[in-house]
Amino acid sequence: MNFDFAAFLEALIHRSPPHVLEHLLLVLVPLLLAVAISFPTGILLTRPRYRPFAGQVLALLNAGQTIPPLAVICIFLPVWGLGYRPAVIALTIYALLPIARNTIAGISGVPLEVREAARGMGMTAREVLLQVELPLSFPVIMTGIKTSAVLTVGTATLATLVGARGMGAVIFAGINFRRVELILAGTLVIGVMALLLDRILTLIEYALTPRFLR
Amino acid sequence: MGSAGGFLAYMEGIGEFWRGILTFIMENRQRIMEYTLNHFSLVLTVLALSLALWVSVGILISRNDKTANAVMGISNILFCIPSISLFGLFITIPYLGLGRRSAALALLLYAMMPLVRNVYKGIKSVDRYVLESGRGMGMSAAQILFHIQIPLAWPVVFAGIRVTVVLITGIATVATFIGERNLGRLIHHGLTRSNSQMIVAGALLVSLMALLLDFLMGLVEKKITSPGLRE
Amino acid sequence: MIELEGLTKHYPNSKKPAVDDFSLKMAEGETCVFVGPSGCGKTTILRMINRLVEPTSGSIRIDGKDVLSADQDQLRRNMGYVIQQIGLLPHRTVRDNVALVPRLLGWAEERTLKRVQELLGLVGLDPEETGGKYPHQLSGGQMQRVGVARAMAADPPIMLMDEPFGAVDPIVRSRLQDEFLQIQHSFNKTICFVTHDIDEAMKMGDKVAIINEGKLVQHGTPMEVLSQPAGPFVRNLLGEDRGVKLLDLTKCQDLMRRDEGLLQKLQGNPCTIGALQPVKAALEVMLRKDCDTVTVLRGDRAVGALTWQEIKGHIHGLSGEDHEL
Repeated sequence: MNFDFAAFLEALIHRSPPHVLEHLLLVLVPLLLAVAISFPTGILLTRPRYRPFAGQVLALLNAGQTIPPLAVICIFLPVWGLGYRPAVIALTIYALLPIARNTIAGISGVPLEVREAARGMGMTAREVLLQVELPLSFPVIMTGIKTSAVLTVGTATLATLVGARGMGAVIFAGINFRRVELILAGTLVIGVMALLLDRILTLIEYALTPRFLR
Repeated sequence: MGSAGGFLAYMEGIGEFWRGILTFIMENRQRIMEYTLNHFSLVLTVLALSLALWVSVGILISRNDKTANAVMGISNILFCIPSISLFGLFITIPYLGLGRRSAALALLLYAMMPLVRNVYKGIKSVDRYVLESGRGMGMSAAQILFHIQIPLAWPVVFAGIRVTVVLITGIATVATFIGERNLGRLIHHGLTRSNSQMIVAGALLVSLMALLLDFLMGLVEKKITSPGLRE
Repeated sequence: MIELEGLTKHYPNSKKPAVDDFSLKMAEGETCVFVGPSGCGKTTILRMINRLVEPTSGSIRIDGKDVLSADQDQLRRNMGYVIQQIGLLPHRTVRDNVALVPRLLGWAEERTLKRVQELLGLVGLDPEETGGKYPHQLSGGQMQRVGVARAMAADPPIMLMDEPFGAVDPIVRSRLQDEFLQIQHSFNKTICFVTHDIDEAMKMGDKVAIINEGKLVQHGTPMEVLSQPAGPFVRNLLGEDRGVKLLDLTKCQDLMRRDEGLLQKLQGNPCTIGALQPVKAALEVMLRKDCDTVTVLRGDRAVGALTWQEIKGHIHGLSGEDHEL
């Protein structure tokens, strides 16, 4: 392996930046979509009326997670063609499970006696949800979102295969031209991105956590 | 009338597409068979290596919390590296090169997180009073490990193995870009040739394989759990 | 015989020692109950005997042999160990749980299985019905019986029991205690028994060791402890109803007056009590039937009589300095 440090720097400083924003969009858009879908669904599946379906929905999402990322990214190609859209949809599907799972687990994990005490004091189901269940399960839900975020940062690398570009473009170029500097630079950027995203979400979590739970 | 006709034509188009996929699979069944076997042999090799290595590591670190945190930190970081990067890096290392060695090593590293974590978690979650009574009855450290800790951790460990199998089956598809001749290759070549039937055929076969493995492992999981641990 | 001498345990992160210069002798075949408030060090002492905790200093000898230089595992295989949480292996059947130590000791399988049958019967479980079950299919009381059977499996001369009946409801607890006393009478093991329940201590113990802040406060028979409590801590632990407890420990035949003349007079007395019953039961009869004298019977024969005088005298005579009872 011959490593050219100048080429590495070049890849890092000139080659990567244009793809950072692309990659970021490939992560943030699916992540927001996944939260928008999974969070309410998760809450719904902990309500008495829909609770019986929680198992089945989770099993379905689990199956979705079982399908290899490369296949998920490519399977929508015939329907939507190459580009940004099939990648975003695939990545969204991939990000659903951790959020839904943790929302359900978090809310179900609120001790029964706490919930009963709240009901016993005359809180409505809605008040119990907003003032008891969600604040108490918030850390677990945020963990799910963080898991999805980190997962998506990595998986989005493959999106370049269906024409959505992103940091994957740099890495695949490195593989095709056998340029280790490109691969390293791309990986480094992705690593930093995952780390920063995780940190930012942790900060958001801290800011939103009720003081007594910190 | 017109819209009905359009609908029919549309349905016909879809039918055509799927027929195409079936035809493709039938015509290439020999190649697909070869890819499937290659895929399996890679997964099995990596699984055997990972079990030997990561289960031992999981057991070892369960004796020391500091080491455990360090080792699991490393496995988490490794897990976050995109698979294609790890594959790409390994092929530039002389002894590894294009192909199986690089692919196997990368997959081995991905298997670390789920396996080590579950072995550790499983062993750590054994009820302390069960351990205490084992010690109190004069079981040696090895007897406690083999007669109490491992059997009781087994469901969690097996869940980890199941996740690992599905995970490396999935990531192995990406190894096609470094020369592995497996089911990922259908997707890879489909992409380069803009052959969407080939892509979908590949994606379907790979998904099917992962789902099937997961299902089979689930069956095994039920079979081997001690009735005392089922609720 | 178990001899503890100058036993001290100092945990690294605490100022005070958990066990402080503790010395005690337990005779063979004796049940010695360690009793005291939680955190007093009684469990630590127990766990030092089978070396689940290593003492900081001091010595433990069993039949003159130094425990601290023995092989740990061998040592433990020769001591039964029962804890409140029981710790049955959830993945093994009841039979395999009980067979654990015999198998560790390398007994022949046939002998082991025979022993398991015998023990399950001994602790009041149906070997056929219960043997194949898993722990989670048992009730709390049943699990505790299995725990006791498992500890006795290899017929160890010594049993260590840490709040063994602490997790079951009062009715089951009382029944388990009675059954265990029965078993103890026929096997005569040396038993160290830890509890925080003073009534259990009085009921189960041949000797009681009262422990506070890692130190031995008093050691003696339940009767001695009740009649001559060593200081306010023990008095407090025993509670306000010390006198009644004392009456519970005294059998009618030990206190009754053997006065033929009185017995003549008492013929046809509706108030009677068995000679082996506790005096407390006689008191109950006196209060309920509103009589001043109870005839003590052995079988159908009147052998003595109990009056208020004996009962009062017993409490006053033995209670030491405080007479406010």
